[in-house]
Amino acid sequence: MKEIDARGLSCPAPVLQTKAAIENEQATSVRVTVDNAASAQNVTRFLQSRGFATETETIGTDLVIVGRGGGGQGAAPAAAKNGEHTKIMVMVASDRMGHGDDELGAKLMISFIKTIAEMGEELWRLVFVNSGVKLTIDGSPVVDVLQNYEAGGLQILVCGTCLTHFDLLKRKQVGVTTNMLDIVTAMQLADKVINI
Amino acid sequence: MLIGLERADDAGIYRVNDELALIQTVDFFTPIVDDPYDFGRIAAANALSDVYAMGGVPKTAMNLVAFPVKTMDLSVLRRVLEGGIAVMREAEVVLIGGHSIEDAELKYGLSVTGFIHPDRVLAKKNLRAGDALVLTKPLGTGIINTAIKGGLASEAIAALVTEQMAALNRAAAETMEAFDVSACTDVTGFGLLGHLAEMVNGSGLGVRISVERVPILAETLDFASMGLVPAGAHRNREFRQHMVAFAPAIDAVMQDVLFDPQTSGGLLISVAGAQGEQLVTALRQAGVKAAAAIGEVVAEEEKIVVT
Repeated sequence: MKEIDARGLSCPAPVLQTKAAIENEQATSVRVTVDNAASAQNVTRFLQSRGFATETETIGTDLVIVGRGGGGQGAAPAAAKNGEHTKIMVMVASDRMGHGDDELGAKLMISFIKTIAEMGEELWRLVFVNSGVKLTIDGSPVVDVLQNYEAGGLQILVCGTCLTHFDLLKRKQVGVTTNMLDIVTAMQLADKVINI
Repeated sequence: MLIGLERADDAGIYRVNDELALIQTVDFFTPIVDDPYDFGRIAAANALSDVYAMGGVPKTAMNLVAFPVKTMDLSVLRRVLEGGIAVMREAEVVLIGGHSIEDAELKYGLSVTGFIHPDRVLAKKNLRAGDALVLTKPLGTGIINTAIKGGLASEAIAALVTEQMAALNRAAAETMEAFDVSACTDVTGFGLLGHLAEMVNGSGLGVRISVERVPILAETLDFASMGLVPAGAHRNREFRQHMVAFAPAIDAVMQDVLFDPQTSGGLLISVAGAQGEQLVTALRQAGVKAAAAIGEVVAEEEKIVVT
């Protein structure tokens, strides 16, 4: 486990040290020691945004955050158990599948989302960008399906800039709000990226 | 004296006669951007803001400078002061003096004196039920500055946030003069919800804020979701969260944005409810492009409800 002592440092230094450890050294589990609650919250949030499961304990005046099962080597808990899986990232950039008839495209997308589970454990991350984010909000015909996937351990990322653009931030019902840096990092880590 | 220490408002006010009161404030801080000229502009705009927030007109200013003369080139100081003077000129404020000391870290700001009519002082605790709340600059400077410190922000967003922090609240203050405004403050270190809490505290009234209407700088939510949140936002939340009721859809990331400490933030104006949208339109016409009505004052207990 990678040990990081970020005591005596103020924001954003503890997050940046953690980021460097999981990106440059491909650490899959980290133990970060900080000395203030703000840094602990920030490091926890950062690790979670990178797919780690986190635990925090207080030791004296220090706070120790342990992050497991994320980062460089297969972030999904399912994949971490059996490191042999191919990691497939599916990027959904529209609420419709294909061009031509929009009504048909919407139906195809619903069917696609419902069927994608057939990929099994190789399906690693599902990323929604542009009008694809509309599939994650209340009223979306697949929101229940996506919630089930997420409960089953699939990582669902939703583009924050896109939600803001469509004024849908409050209506998102599933997935973790993310940013372009996360998306780019995920593309790099994935064995296969499928664009829909 | 009309407003002094016991009121904890944006500036102190001393009545000279029935027509004239002096408004005085002082503010200085350490650099928040790398460019010394930009730092000077931001520090000056930030110091002048307290006068605008009370409905006054700034007239004179004095420089406050701490400078590490042994380790830093004097040309840096010159650029800081030039930046400050540029903003004072824009505000039509006369620089009449100042004081400097040697210190390990650069600090700059202004002591500002302005005029205000004694009957037209806009205190922050004068909220009125039924008022609309208007915010004149987008939130997110603390989070974006944290991302800049971490080397993760683009140059475009860094330039945008610098210009926003250096922008005077003058146009906003002049525009609101023509409206039925009951209270005003500027959003700075306590964040939007921290300053709202100050307005609400002791007023006997509550406020309702709609997150969808709150202007937020681009990429702020992205950086906040990565944990690039300044310690000040956490402190602000701990201090005031007992006064805030968040709807379940408002996640921790959004809460941090609402508590994000702002540098040289916008004015938060409580205006007669029927005039809310008119004020927003007038502000936008005056060049205050991000102005938005973000909520209203309600005759309930002293609570901030965020939906």
